[in-house]
Amino acid sequence: MLEVADISVAYGQHRALTDAGLSVGRSEIVVILGANGAGKTSLLKAIAGIVACLPGKRVTLSGRDIAGLPAHEIVEAGLALVPEGRGIFADLTVAENLLLGANPKRARDGEAARRERVLALFPRLGERLGQTVRTMSGGEQQMVAIGRALMSNPDVLLLDEPSLGLSPLLVRELFASLRKVRESGVGLLLVEQNARESLAIADRGYLIENGKITGSGTGTELMSNDAVQRAYLGGIVASAV
Amino acid sequence: MTNAIFTGLMLGGMYALIAMGLTLQYGVARIMNLSYGEFLVAAAFSSYWLFTGWALNPLLGLALVIPAGFGVSLLLYRVLLTPLVRRARTRGALEVDSILATFGMMFIVQGIMLSMFGGAYFSYSFLAIPVSLFGEILALNRLIAFGLAVAVGLALYLALTRTRLGTSIRAVAVDPMAAQLVAIDVVRTSAFAFALGGALVAAAGVLISMFLTFSASSGVIFTMKALIVVVMGGVGNLLGCLVAGLALGLSESLVATFVDPGLTLAVNFALFLGVLLVKPAGLFGRAQR
Ligand SMILES: Nc1ncnc2c1ncn2[C@@H]1O[C@H](COP(=O)(O)OP(=O)(O)OP(=O)(O)O)[C@@H](O)[C@H]1O
Ligand SMILES: [Mg+2]
Repeated sequence: MLEVADISVAYGQHRALTDAGLSVGRSEIVVILGANGAGKTSLLKAIAGIVACLPGKRVTLSGRDIAGLPAHEIVEAGLALVPEGRGIFADLTVAENLLLGANPKRARDGEAARRERVLALFPRLGERLGQTVRTMSGGEQQMVAIGRALMSNPDVLLLDEPSLGLSPLLVRELFASLRKVRESGVGLLLVEQNARESLAIADRGYLIENGKITGSGTGTELMSNDAVQRAYLGGIVASAV
Repeated sequence: MTNAIFTGLMLGGMYALIAMGLTLQYGVARIMNLSYGEFLVAAAFSSYWLFTGWALNPLLGLALVIPAGFGVSLLLYRVLLTPLVRRARTRGALEVDSILATFGMMFIVQGIMLSMFGGAYFSYSFLAIPVSLFGEILALNRLIAFGLAVAVGLALYLALTRTRLGTSIRAVAVDPMAAQLVAIDVVRTSAFAFALGGALVAAAGVLISMFLTFSASSGVIFTMKALIVVVMGGVGNLLGCLVAGLALGLSESLVATFVDPGLTLAVNFALFLGVLLVKPAGLFGRAQR
């Protein structure tokens, strides 16, 4: 559904991403693993049209070419991003954030039903509709961010470290919610530091190092991959087994 | 005393209306429009011209001048300001650029009005009928102007808080980066907010011309008052405009009545400084990130 090839990003002289490519299918959870500064955020932002790319990239969504569209039209095409640090409207209420989430024209039909589904997914939001988002806990804010993105009726949802700063219990809840989102047919592309939990729910994954995609495989393949074991899963314990 | 309070409230209502347009232009579109007052005076002259030349009731004149204010502002944004918006890397840079551009604009608009009308003061007499309210004698034109200012302010407030378009305008004001993520075209929305500000200042100009004398060079005083109210109330905040506008009007009127009319400007600034000392981001403002 989402096909990305040859994306490169540079910040001035600094190359953050070189010829990266990946794909996400319908009802698929795809995880990107990489160290700090590897270029994960740059990759998601480049796909979403928020940072400028070097020429040559190809991005198609459900067969439609969306490379080079401005960010707001990419949302309109069916790709939603929950950025690092959430990017929600902290000064507005939960209800207003959800209302704005449904701002794309593609989200107008069936908005009420979608809102019901989001509130069923995150019942906490239903209890806090009038609350200013700034005053909510980190976990609740993450729910607002994901809920707002879902309100745009996306085909593909990009999430940049959604589990950051959440307690282990909340992380488990969050990933359970993401599974439910997948069941509704949405493709999810997930950047995570939390390798064990995220690979457990992932259909496939990619490894990224120094701005290059260096490996890929199914969730179980990556789980047993040596490099992944060493870098993300505490390989010493694993190799001792 | 009651009369001073009434006068103050009515003055304050006008200040609030004047400031609402600027708070949209500055708070949403991030254009610090130094020619703001000139547009107000231009609207006043339009109303004068329609009234004296065409015998058109200023209240009907609103129906012409408001759309014109919207259109001219939209054009201004598209032609003069969009290049600045596109090249500005940060909102701060855009503010500085827009100050320079609209400072030039101020002289252009003022020059046009000077060449058309000269430097004299103008006024016209429309509904200058005394009416008594709560035992005080007030001019009908002022009362009507105040009533319309309140109605416009209320309508704008409801539109911004209760509709999706209004909410997306506020979204651009609070976080333009996040606004893109919900498919808001930030430049387009900014242009719309700027033009809406132009429509509001046009309305204010017409209403003020019904009871106040004005000249081609009166603009700067309105820009200044609007700026004081906007900053005092908190940039981009309509309720802030209302409270700060009323406070300014009341304090001016009370000081003019009981102390000395020459001190109103001093009181303006004393109030302004006082508020900013206690709340640097304004009454309803939030500290910048
Ligand atoms: N706006 C920017 N200006 C300059 N350099 C940047 C900018 N954003 C990112 N970089 C650099 O690009 C590289 C990749 O950054 P990116 O944010 O994509 O990494 P990441 O994989 O998301 O890291 P993390 O796990 O810490 O979030 C880093 O070296 C970073 O310093
Ligand atoms: Mg990152």
